[in-house]
Amino acid sequence: MNCVDINLQIGRSQVPQYGQASTVAELFQALDGTGITRGVVWHAAQRDGGPDVGNALVNQAIAGDDRALGCWAIVPPHTDHDLMTDDFFDRMRAERIVALRAFPEAHRYQLGRVTFGSFLDEVAERRVPVLLSLRFGADWPGVYRLLAEYPTLTVVLCDLGLWGQDRQSWPLLAEYPNVYLESSLVSLEAGGLEAVVQAYGAERVLFGSGFPFHYPHAAVLGLLQAELTEVDREKIASGNLRRMVEEVA
Amino acid sequence: MGSPTTLWEQFCSQPIVEDCPLYDMHGHWGSTTGICLPAAQFETARRLLERSGVKRLVICHHHALFSPEAGNATNVAAVRQLPEILRAYLAINPNYPELMAQDLADYDRYPEVYVGLKMLADYHRIAVDAPDAAPAWEMANARGLLVLLHTWGGSRYDGYEQVKSVLERYPNAKVLLGHSLFGEWEHAAELAADYPNCYLELTAASLERGGMETMLRGVGSEKLVFGTDFPWFGYPYCVGTILGANMTDENRRNILYRNAQRLLGEASHEGEG
Repeated sequence: MNCVDINLQIGRSQVPQYGQASTVAELFQALDGTGITRGVVWHAAQRDGGPDVGNALVNQAIAGDDRALGCWAIVPPHTDHDLMTDDFFDRMRAERIVALRAFPEAHRYQLGRVTFGSFLDEVAERRVPVLLSLRFGADWPGVYRLLAEYPTLTVVLCDLGLWGQDRQSWPLLAEYPNVYLESSLVSLEAGGLEAVVQAYGAERVLFGSGFPFHYPHAAVLGLLQAELTEVDREKIASGNLRRMVEEVA
Repeated sequence: MGSPTTLWEQFCSQPIVEDCPLYDMHGHWGSTTGICLPAAQFETARRLLERSGVKRLVICHHHALFSPEAGNATNVAAVRQLPEILRAYLAINPNYPELMAQDLADYDRYPEVYVGLKMLADYHRIAVDAPDAAPAWEMANARGLLVLLHTWGGSRYDGYEQVKSVLERYPNAKVLLGHSLFGEWEHAAELAADYPNCYLELTAASLERGGMETMLRGVGSEKLVFGTDFPWFGYPYCVGTILGANMTDENRRNILYRNAQRLLGEASHEGEG
Protein backbone atom coordinates (compact mmCIF):
# COMPACT_ATOMS: atom_id res chain seq x y z
CA MET A 1 0.00 0.00 0.00
CA ASN A 2 1.41 3.36 -1.06
CA CYS A 3 0.27 6.26 1.05
CA VAL A 4 0.16 9.92 0.14
CA ASP A 5 0.21 11.90 3.37
CA ILE A 6 -1.85 15.10 3.76
CA ASN A 7 -0.38 15.97 7.17
CA LEU A 8 3.40 16.19 7.19
CA GLN A 9 5.34 18.88 9.01
CA ILE A 10 8.91 19.68 8.11
CA GLY A 11 11.28 22.15 9.73
CA ARG A 12 12.68 22.59 13.18
CA SER A 13 10.19 23.71 15.82
CA GLN A 14 11.31 26.40 18.26
CA VAL A 15 11.04 23.69 20.93
CA PRO A 16 12.69 20.64 19.34
CA GLN A 17 10.30 17.85 18.47
CA TYR A 18 11.58 14.29 18.66
CA GLY A 19 12.24 12.92 15.18
CA GLN A 20 11.63 16.18 13.32
CA ALA A 21 12.89 16.50 9.74
CA SER A 22 14.42 19.75 8.61
CA THR A 23 14.17 19.11 4.88
CA VAL A 24 12.06 17.10 2.46
CA ALA A 25 15.02 14.77 1.95
CA GLU A 26 15.24 14.15 5.71
CA LEU A 27 11.49 13.68 5.83
CA PHE A 28 11.40 10.90 3.27
CA GLN A 29 14.46 9.32 4.80
CA ALA A 30 12.53 9.14 8.09
CA LEU A 31 9.51 7.71 6.27
CA ASP A 32 11.54 5.13 4.39
CA GLY A 33 9.96 1.69 4.74
CA THR A 34 6.63 2.98 6.03
CA GLY A 35 4.89 3.00 2.66
CA ILE A 36 4.43 6.79 2.73
CA THR A 37 5.96 7.84 -0.55
CA ARG A 38 4.54 11.31 -1.21
CA GLY A 39 2.78 14.03 0.69
CA VAL A 40 1.69 17.59 1.30
CA VAL A 41 4.03 19.40 3.66
CA TRP A 42 3.75 22.40 5.90
CA HIS A 43 6.60 24.04 7.79
CA ALA A 44 7.06 24.57 11.52
CA ALA A 45 8.02 28.14 10.76
CA GLN A 46 4.54 28.84 9.41
CA ARG A 47 3.31 28.45 12.97
CA ASP A 48 6.34 29.50 15.01
CA GLY A 49 7.97 32.17 12.87
CA GLY A 50 5.05 33.56 10.91
CA PRO A 51 3.42 32.89 7.56
CA ASP A 52 5.84 35.04 5.54
CA VAL A 53 8.97 33.15 6.52
CA GLY A 54 7.11 29.85 6.76
CA ASN A 55 5.51 30.01 3.33
CA ALA A 56 8.83 30.95 1.77
CA LEU A 57 10.50 28.00 3.48
CA VAL A 58 7.83 25.66 2.13
CA ASN A 59 8.46 26.92 -1.40
CA GLN A 60 12.17 26.42 -0.95
CA ALA A 61 11.80 22.97 0.64
CA ILE A 62 9.64 21.40 -2.06
CA ALA A 63 11.35 22.98 -5.07
CA GLY A 64 12.66 20.28 -7.34
CA ASP A 65 11.38 17.36 -5.29
CA ASP A 66 8.25 15.84 -6.78
CA ARG A 67 7.57 13.71 -3.70
CA ALA A 68 6.27 16.77 -1.88
CA LEU A 69 3.60 19.32 -2.62
CA GLY A 70 3.16 22.37 -0.43
CA CYS A 71 0.73 24.07 1.83
CA TRP A 72 0.64 27.80 2.59
CA ALA A 73 -0.60 29.57 5.70
CA ILE A 74 -3.22 32.28 5.18
CA VAL A 75 -3.63 35.51 7.13
CA PRO A 76 -6.17 38.35 6.93
CA PRO A 77 -6.07 40.17 3.56
CA HIS A 78 -6.72 43.49 5.36
CA THR A 79 -3.34 43.48 7.03
CA ASP A 80 -0.91 41.17 5.32
CA HIS A 81 -0.78 42.69 1.82
CA ASP A 82 2.58 41.20 0.93
CA LEU A 83 1.24 37.66 1.33
CA MET A 84 -2.39 38.00 0.35
CA THR A 85 -1.73 39.54 -3.06
CA ASP A 86 -4.05 39.77 -6.05
CA ASP A 87 -2.05 37.07 -7.82
CA PHE A 88 -2.18 34.74 -4.77
CA PHE A 89 -3.61 31.79 -6.67
CA ASP A 90 -1.22 32.20 -9.61
CA ARG A 91 1.70 32.18 -7.21
CA MET A 92 0.29 29.11 -5.51
CA ARG A 93 0.22 27.23 -8.79
CA ALA A 94 3.72 28.36 -9.71
CA GLU A 95 5.13 27.14 -6.40
CA ARG A 96 3.21 23.79 -6.42
CA ILE A 97 1.08 24.77 -3.45
CA VAL A 98 -2.10 22.69 -3.37
CA ALA A 99 -3.59 23.44 0.05
CA LEU A 100 -3.89 26.17 2.66
CA ARG A 101 -3.61 26.12 6.41
CA ALA A 102 -4.99 28.55 8.96
CA PHE A 103 -3.55 29.14 12.42
CA PRO A 104 -6.13 31.55 13.85
CA GLU A 105 -4.87 31.19 17.40
CA ALA A 106 -1.12 31.57 16.74
CA HIS A 107 -1.64 34.34 14.19
CA ARG A 108 -4.39 36.02 16.21
CA TYR A 109 -7.32 36.49 13.90
CA GLN A 110 -10.91 35.34 13.56
CA LEU A 111 -11.31 32.72 10.85
CA GLY A 112 -14.53 33.83 9.21
CA ARG A 113 -16.29 36.06 6.68
CA VAL A 114 -15.61 39.38 8.41
CA THR A 115 -11.89 38.67 8.16
CA PHE A 116 -11.61 36.79 4.86
CA GLY A 117 -14.65 37.98 2.87
CA SER A 118 -14.53 37.04 -0.79
CA PHE A 119 -11.06 35.49 -0.50
CA LEU A 120 -12.46 32.30 1.01
CA ASP A 121 -15.33 32.36 -1.50
CA GLU A 122 -12.68 32.12 -4.21
CA VAL A 123 -10.86 29.40 -2.27
CA ALA A 124 -14.13 27.46 -2.17
CA GLU A 125 -14.80 28.03 -5.88
CA ARG A 126 -11.34 26.87 -6.80
CA ARG A 127 -11.76 23.87 -4.53
CA VAL A 128 -8.52 24.55 -2.70
CA PRO A 129 -8.53 22.46 0.48
CA VAL A 130 -8.13 24.33 3.75
CA LEU A 131 -6.44 22.21 6.40
CA LEU A 132 -7.48 22.95 9.97
CA SER A 133 -5.58 21.25 12.76
CA LEU A 134 -7.35 20.70 16.04
CA ARG A 135 -3.87 20.44 17.57
CA PHE A 136 -2.58 23.67 16.11
CA GLY A 137 -5.06 26.40 16.68
CA ALA A 138 -8.41 25.40 15.24
CA ASP A 139 -11.23 24.64 17.64
CA TRP A 140 -14.63 23.11 17.13
CA PRO A 141 -16.74 26.27 17.64
CA GLY A 142 -14.49 28.05 15.14
CA VAL A 143 -14.81 25.24 12.60
CA TYR A 144 -18.58 25.24 12.97
CA ARG A 145 -18.73 29.04 12.49
CA LEU A 146 -16.45 28.93 9.45
CA LEU A 147 -18.51 26.28 7.70
CA ALA A 148 -21.78 28.04 8.48
CA GLU A 149 -20.35 31.07 6.65
CA TYR A 150 -18.65 29.14 3.83
CA PRO A 151 -20.70 25.97 3.43
CA THR A 152 -19.04 24.88 0.17
CA LEU A 153 -15.47 25.34 1.40
CA THR A 154 -13.27 22.25 1.14
CA VAL A 155 -12.02 21.67 4.67
CA VAL A 156 -9.77 18.86 5.90
CA LEU A 157 -9.88 18.47 9.66
CA CYS A 158 -6.48 17.29 10.86
CA ASP A 159 -5.10 16.00 14.18
CA LEU A 160 -8.60 15.35 15.43
CA GLY A 161 -7.64 14.82 19.01
CA LEU A 162 -6.89 12.03 21.39
CA TRP A 163 -10.42 11.69 22.61
CA GLY A 164 -12.54 10.38 19.77
CA GLN A 165 -14.19 13.32 18.09
CA ASP A 166 -17.13 11.63 16.41
CA ARG A 167 -19.69 13.78 18.20
CA GLN A 168 -17.92 16.88 16.90
CA SER A 169 -16.95 15.76 13.40
CA TRP A 170 -19.82 13.58 12.23
CA PRO A 171 -22.46 16.36 12.17
CA LEU A 172 -20.09 18.32 9.92
CA LEU A 173 -19.66 15.37 7.58
CA ALA A 174 -23.43 15.05 7.40
CA GLU A 175 -24.08 18.74 6.78
CA TYR A 176 -21.22 19.81 4.51
CA PRO A 177 -20.26 17.64 1.52
CA ASN A 178 -16.76 19.13 1.22
CA VAL A 179 -15.59 18.33 4.74
CA TYR A 180 -12.99 15.59 5.09
CA LEU A 181 -11.15 13.96 7.98
CA GLU A 182 -7.42 13.32 8.13
CA SER A 183 -7.01 9.70 9.20
CA SER A 184 -4.27 9.48 11.82
CA LEU A 185 -6.13 10.03 15.05
CA VAL A 186 -9.35 8.65 13.58
CA SER A 187 -7.53 5.35 13.35
CA LEU A 188 -6.13 5.76 16.86
CA GLU A 189 -9.64 5.20 18.17
CA ALA A 190 -10.59 1.52 18.34
CA GLY A 191 -12.83 0.90 15.34
CA GLY A 192 -12.88 4.62 14.58
CA LEU A 193 -11.90 4.43 10.94
CA GLU A 194 -14.33 1.62 10.19
CA ALA A 195 -17.15 3.51 11.89
CA VAL A 196 -16.71 6.74 9.96
CA VAL A 197 -16.31 4.93 6.65
CA GLN A 198 -19.46 2.97 7.30
CA ALA A 199 -21.37 6.13 8.17
CA TYR A 200 -20.07 8.55 5.52
CA GLY A 201 -17.99 6.58 3.03
CA ALA A 202 -14.27 6.21 2.44
CA GLU A 203 -14.38 9.25 0.14
CA ARG A 204 -14.47 11.49 3.21
CA VAL A 205 -11.17 10.36 4.74
CA LEU A 206 -7.63 11.28 3.67
CA PHE A 207 -4.54 9.51 4.90
CA GLY A 208 -2.36 11.52 7.26
CA SER A 209 0.29 10.64 9.80
CA GLY A 210 0.76 13.81 11.85
CA PHE A 211 4.53 13.46 11.42
CA PRO A 212 6.67 14.23 13.41
CA PHE A 213 4.34 14.38 16.40
CA HIS A 214 3.08 10.83 15.97
CA TYR A 215 4.69 7.65 14.69
CA PRO A 216 4.05 7.31 10.93
CA HIS A 217 4.11 3.51 11.27
CA ALA A 218 1.07 3.79 13.54
CA ALA A 219 -1.01 5.68 10.99
CA VAL A 220 0.01 3.27 8.23
CA LEU A 221 -0.81 0.16 10.27
CA GLY A 222 -4.02 1.82 11.45
CA LEU A 223 -5.15 2.01 7.82
CA LEU A 224 -3.59 -1.23 6.63
CA GLN A 225 -5.27 -3.35 9.28
CA ALA A 226 -8.62 -1.56 9.38
CA GLU A 227 -11.59 -3.71 8.42
CA LEU A 228 -12.17 -2.02 5.05
CA THR A 229 -12.48 -3.15 1.45
CA GLU A 230 -9.30 -2.81 -0.60
CA VAL A 231 -11.06 -0.24 -2.77
CA ASP A 232 -11.87 1.91 0.27
CA ARG A 233 -8.37 1.49 1.67
CA GLU A 234 -6.83 2.71 -1.58
CA LYS A 235 -9.15 5.72 -1.64
CA ILE A 236 -8.02 6.74 1.82
CA ALA A 237 -4.35 5.93 1.24
CA SER A 238 -3.98 8.03 -1.86
CA GLY A 239 -6.97 8.14 -4.22
CA ASN A 240 -8.99 10.81 -2.45
CA LEU A 241 -6.06 13.19 -2.12
CA ARG A 242 -4.97 12.68 -5.72
CA ARG A 243 -8.49 13.54 -6.85
CA MET A 244 -8.63 16.56 -4.53
CA VAL A 245 -5.34 17.91 -5.87
CA GLU A 246 -6.42 17.38 -9.48
CA GLU A 247 -9.60 19.33 -8.85
CA VAL A 248 -7.83 22.42 -7.54
CA ALA A 249 -8.44 25.16 -10.11
CA MET B 1 10.13 -9.70 -2.40
CA GLY B 2 11.18 -12.26 0.24
CA SER B 3 9.10 -13.41 3.17
CA PRO B 4 8.71 -10.83 5.92
CA THR B 5 11.35 -10.99 8.62
CA THR B 6 11.04 -7.96 10.87
CA LEU B 7 8.01 -7.54 13.08
CA TRP B 8 7.04 -4.47 11.05
CA GLU B 9 7.05 -6.50 7.86
CA GLN B 10 5.11 -9.31 9.49
CA PHE B 11 2.41 -7.06 10.93
CA CYS B 12 2.12 -5.33 7.56
CA SER B 13 1.45 -8.63 5.84
CA GLN B 14 -1.09 -9.98 8.38
CA PRO B 15 -2.99 -8.57 11.37
CA ILE B 16 -2.01 -11.45 13.64
CA VAL B 17 1.59 -12.57 14.05
CA GLU B 18 1.30 -15.92 15.75
CA ASP B 19 4.60 -15.84 17.61
CA CYS B 20 4.05 -12.27 18.77
CA PRO B 21 0.79 -12.29 20.74
CA LEU B 22 -0.56 -9.07 22.20
CA TYR B 23 -0.92 -8.70 25.95
CA ASP B 24 -2.67 -5.47 26.80
CA MET B 25 -2.29 -4.51 30.46
CA HIS B 26 -4.43 -1.36 30.36
CA GLY B 27 -7.96 -1.52 29.05
CA HIS B 28 -11.52 -0.64 29.89
CA TRP B 29 -14.92 -1.87 28.86
CA GLY B 30 -18.30 -0.46 27.96
CA SER B 31 -19.53 3.06 27.41
CA THR B 32 -18.38 6.17 29.23
CA THR B 33 -19.05 9.85 29.48
CA GLY B 34 -17.76 12.42 27.00
CA ILE B 35 -17.16 10.13 24.09
CA CYS B 36 -19.02 7.83 21.73
CA LEU B 37 -16.77 4.79 21.46
CA PRO B 38 -17.51 2.39 18.59
CA ALA B 39 -15.99 -0.44 20.62
CA ALA B 40 -18.23 0.25 23.61
CA GLN B 41 -20.56 -2.20 21.86
CA PHE B 42 -19.76 -5.76 22.85
CA GLU B 43 -19.82 -7.27 19.36
CA THR B 44 -17.60 -4.54 17.96
CA ALA B 45 -15.15 -4.93 20.83
CA ARG B 46 -14.98 -8.68 20.44
CA ARG B 47 -14.47 -8.44 16.68
CA LEU B 48 -11.65 -5.93 17.08
CA LEU B 49 -9.91 -8.00 19.76
CA GLU B 50 -10.14 -11.17 17.73
CA ARG B 51 -9.11 -9.47 14.51
CA SER B 52 -5.88 -8.28 16.15
CA GLY B 53 -5.24 -11.58 17.89
CA VAL B 54 -5.25 -10.10 21.36
CA LYS B 55 -4.32 -12.89 23.72
CA ARG B 56 -5.02 -11.05 26.94
CA LEU B 57 -6.66 -7.73 27.77
CA VAL B 58 -6.85 -6.64 31.40
CA ILE B 59 -9.69 -4.21 31.85
CA CYS B 60 -11.39 -2.13 34.47
CA HIS B 61 -14.96 -1.39 33.42
CA HIS B 62 -15.73 2.31 33.02
CA HIS B 63 -18.83 1.97 35.17
CA ALA B 64 -16.85 0.33 37.97
CA LEU B 65 -14.51 3.33 37.97
CA PHE B 66 -17.00 6.14 37.53
CA SER B 67 -20.34 4.95 38.92
CA PRO B 68 -20.11 3.50 42.43
CA GLU B 69 -23.66 2.15 42.28
CA ALA B 70 -22.80 0.07 39.22
CA GLY B 71 -19.52 -0.93 40.81
CA ASN B 72 -17.29 -3.94 40.32
CA ALA B 73 -20.16 -6.21 39.33
CA THR B 74 -19.64 -4.75 35.84
CA ASN B 75 -16.09 -6.12 35.81
CA VAL B 76 -17.27 -9.59 36.69
CA ALA B 77 -19.98 -9.52 34.04
CA ALA B 78 -17.57 -8.24 31.38
CA VAL B 79 -14.94 -10.92 31.98
CA ARG B 80 -17.60 -13.60 31.95
CA GLN B 81 -18.71 -12.36 28.52
CA LEU B 82 -15.29 -12.99 27.03
CA PRO B 83 -13.32 -15.17 29.47
CA GLU B 84 -10.80 -16.42 26.94
CA ILE B 85 -9.37 -12.90 26.52
CA LEU B 86 -10.43 -10.66 29.40
CA ARG B 87 -9.25 -10.35 32.96
CA ALA B 88 -10.00 -7.42 35.28
CA TYR B 89 -8.54 -5.11 37.84
CA LEU B 90 -10.81 -4.51 40.81
CA ALA B 91 -11.75 -0.81 40.77
CA ILE B 92 -10.70 1.00 43.94
CA ASN B 93 -12.27 4.31 44.89
CA PRO B 94 -11.01 5.32 48.35
CA ASN B 95 -13.63 8.06 48.54
CA TYR B 96 -16.00 5.29 49.60
CA PRO B 97 -14.15 3.28 52.26
CA GLU B 98 -17.10 0.99 53.02
CA LEU B 99 -17.62 0.09 49.35
CA MET B 100 -13.89 -0.39 48.94
CA ALA B 101 -13.72 -2.68 51.96
CA GLN B 102 -16.58 -4.77 50.60
CA ASP B 103 -14.97 -4.96 47.16
CA LEU B 104 -11.65 -6.05 48.66
CA ALA B 105 -13.44 -8.67 50.74
CA ASP B 106 -15.14 -9.99 47.58
CA TYR B 107 -11.91 -10.17 45.57
CA ASP B 108 -11.32 -13.86 46.25
CA ARG B 109 -14.78 -14.83 45.12
CA TYR B 110 -13.71 -14.21 41.53
CA PRO B 111 -10.31 -15.78 40.94
CA GLU B 112 -11.16 -16.25 37.27
CA VAL B 113 -11.81 -12.51 36.94
CA TYR B 114 -9.33 -10.47 38.92
CA VAL B 115 -5.58 -10.15 38.51
CA GLY B 116 -5.12 -7.02 40.60
CA LEU B 117 -6.40 -3.58 41.53
CA LYS B 118 -6.89 -0.33 39.65
CA MET B 119 -6.79 3.22 41.01
CA LEU B 120 -7.85 6.31 39.09
CA ALA B 121 -6.70 8.94 41.52
CA ASP B 122 -6.79 11.96 39.19
CA TYR B 123 -10.45 11.36 38.48
CA HIS B 124 -11.41 10.33 42.01
CA ARG B 125 -9.37 13.27 43.36
CA ILE B 126 -7.81 11.36 46.17
CA ALA B 127 -4.08 10.71 46.19
CA VAL B 128 -2.76 7.19 45.68
CA ASP B 129 -0.92 7.51 48.99
CA ALA B 130 -3.92 8.87 50.93
CA PRO B 131 -4.69 7.09 54.22
CA ASP B 132 -8.05 5.92 52.90
CA ALA B 133 -6.29 3.98 50.13
CA ALA B 134 -4.08 2.09 52.60
CA PRO B 135 -6.30 -1.02 52.98
CA ALA B 136 -6.07 -1.67 49.25
CA TRP B 137 -2.31 -1.21 49.26
CA GLU B 138 -1.88 -3.44 52.28
CA MET B 139 -3.76 -6.22 50.54
CA ALA B 140 -1.79 -5.77 47.32
CA ASN B 141 1.46 -5.70 49.24
CA ALA B 142 0.64 -8.79 51.29
CA ARG B 143 -0.30 -10.82 48.22
CA GLY B 144 2.03 -9.36 45.60
CA LEU B 145 -0.90 -8.18 43.49
CA LEU B 146 -0.70 -6.06 40.38
CA VAL B 147 -1.88 -2.49 40.90
CA LEU B 148 -2.54 -0.42 37.78
CA LEU B 149 -2.41 3.29 38.56
CA HIS B 150 -3.50 6.08 36.30
CA THR B 151 -0.45 8.37 36.58
CA TRP B 152 0.14 11.82 35.13
CA GLY B 153 3.04 14.23 35.21
CA GLY B 154 2.42 17.12 37.57
CA SER B 155 -0.60 15.56 39.23
CA ARG B 156 -1.01 16.03 42.96
CA TYR B 157 -2.97 12.79 43.13
CA ASP B 158 -0.86 10.39 41.09
CA GLY B 159 2.26 12.35 40.15
CA TYR B 160 5.88 11.52 40.81
CA GLU B 161 5.89 12.16 44.57
CA GLN B 162 2.70 10.26 45.36
CA VAL B 163 3.72 7.27 43.24
CA LYS B 164 7.19 7.22 44.74
CA SER B 165 5.66 7.18 48.18
CA VAL B 166 3.60 4.02 47.54
CA LEU B 167 6.46 2.29 45.74
CA GLU B 168 8.56 2.88 48.82
CA ARG B 169 5.93 1.75 51.28
CA TYR B 170 4.58 -1.30 49.43
CA PRO B 171 7.55 -3.05 47.84
CA ASN B 172 5.72 -6.32 47.19
CA ALA B 173 2.87 -4.82 45.16
CA LYS B 174 3.63 -4.91 41.43
CA VAL B 175 2.81 -1.38 40.42
CA LEU B 176 2.08 -0.48 36.79
CA LEU B 177 2.28 3.22 36.08
CA GLY B 178 -0.56 3.70 33.60
CA HIS B 179 0.37 6.42 31.07
CA SER B 180 3.89 6.42 32.57
CA LEU B 181 3.54 9.73 34.43
CA PHE B 182 2.46 11.30 31.16
CA GLY B 183 4.96 13.90 30.03
CA GLU B 184 7.49 13.18 32.77
CA TRP B 185 9.19 10.34 30.94
CA GLU B 186 12.50 10.74 32.73
CA HIS B 187 10.84 10.63 36.13
CA ALA B 188 8.92 7.53 35.10
CA ALA B 189 12.11 5.82 33.97
CA GLU B 190 13.82 6.82 37.21
CA LEU B 191 11.10 5.21 39.33
CA ALA B 192 11.08 2.03 37.25
CA ALA B 193 14.87 1.83 37.53
CA ASP B 194 14.94 2.51 41.26
CA TYR B 195 12.07 0.24 42.32
CA PRO B 196 12.01 -3.41 41.24
CA ASN B 197 8.23 -3.47 41.74
CA CYS B 198 7.58 -0.60 39.29
CA TYR B 199 6.65 -1.04 35.61
CA LEU B 200 5.73 1.50 32.98
CA GLU B 201 2.60 1.04 30.88
CA LEU B 202 2.75 2.54 27.40
CA THR B 203 -0.70 3.87 26.52
CA ALA B 204 0.98 7.27 26.42
CA ALA B 205 3.42 6.20 23.73
CA SER B 206 0.94 6.77 20.93
CA LEU B 207 0.22 10.27 22.12
CA GLU B 208 3.69 11.77 22.24
CA ARG B 209 6.43 10.52 19.96
CA GLY B 210 9.78 10.19 21.71
CA GLY B 211 8.57 9.52 25.24
CA MET B 212 8.90 5.79 24.82
CA GLU B 213 12.47 6.07 23.58
CA THR B 214 13.32 8.18 26.64
CA MET B 215 11.93 5.54 28.97
CA LEU B 216 13.61 2.74 27.06
CA ARG B 217 16.97 4.48 27.42
CA GLY B 218 16.38 5.07 31.10
CA VAL B 219 15.17 1.68 32.26
CA GLY B 220 15.27 -0.90 29.44
CA SER B 221 12.45 -2.82 27.79
CA GLU B 222 12.05 -5.37 30.61
CA LYS B 223 10.18 -2.74 32.64
CA LEU B 224 7.82 -1.57 29.87
CA VAL B 225 4.42 -3.13 29.17
CA PHE B 226 1.98 -2.66 26.30
CA GLY B 227 -1.34 -0.93 26.92
CA THR B 228 -3.99 0.73 24.77
CA ASP B 229 -6.80 2.03 26.97
CA PHE B 230 -9.05 -0.10 24.73
CA PRO B 231 -11.83 0.66 23.75
CA TRP B 232 -10.39 4.14 23.49
CA PHE B 233 -7.39 3.29 21.34
CA GLY B 234 -7.15 0.48 18.84
CA TYR B 235 -4.56 -2.23 18.27
CA PRO B 236 -3.38 -1.48 14.74
CA TYR B 237 -2.41 2.08 15.66
CA CYS B 238 -0.89 1.23 19.04
CA VAL B 239 1.07 -1.74 17.72
CA GLY B 240 2.27 0.51 14.92
CA THR B 241 3.56 2.90 17.56
CA ILE B 242 5.68 0.17 19.14
CA LEU B 243 6.87 -0.97 15.72
CA GLY B 244 7.74 2.57 14.70
CA ALA B 245 9.74 3.43 17.79
CA ASN B 246 13.49 3.34 17.72
CA MET B 247 14.23 -0.06 19.30
CA THR B 248 15.01 -3.66 18.40
CA ASP B 249 12.43 -6.37 17.75
CA GLU B 250 13.60 -8.13 20.92
CA ASN B 251 12.65 -5.02 22.89
CA ARG B 252 9.30 -4.95 21.11
CA ARG B 253 8.61 -8.56 22.05
CA ASN B 254 9.39 -7.76 25.69
CA ILE B 255 6.87 -4.94 25.56
CA LEU B 256 4.12 -6.63 23.55
CA TYR B 257 3.93 -9.88 25.52
CA ARG B 258 6.94 -11.20 27.44
CA ASN B 259 6.83 -8.84 30.39
CA ALA B 260 3.06 -9.17 30.75
CA GLN B 261 3.20 -12.95 30.61
CA ARG B 262 5.66 -12.84 33.47
CA LEU B 263 3.61 -10.37 35.51
CA LEU B 264 0.43 -12.36 35.00
CA GLY B 265 2.16 -15.66 35.73
CA GLU B 266 1.12 -17.02 32.36
CA ALA B 267 3.13 -19.60 30.51
CA SER B 268 5.31 -18.29 27.71
CA HIS B 269 4.59 -19.69 24.27
CA GLU B 270 8.33 -19.40 23.63
CA GLY B 271 9.07 -22.13 26.14
CA GLU B 272 11.13 -19.92 28.40
CA GLY B 273 9.08 -20.61 31.48
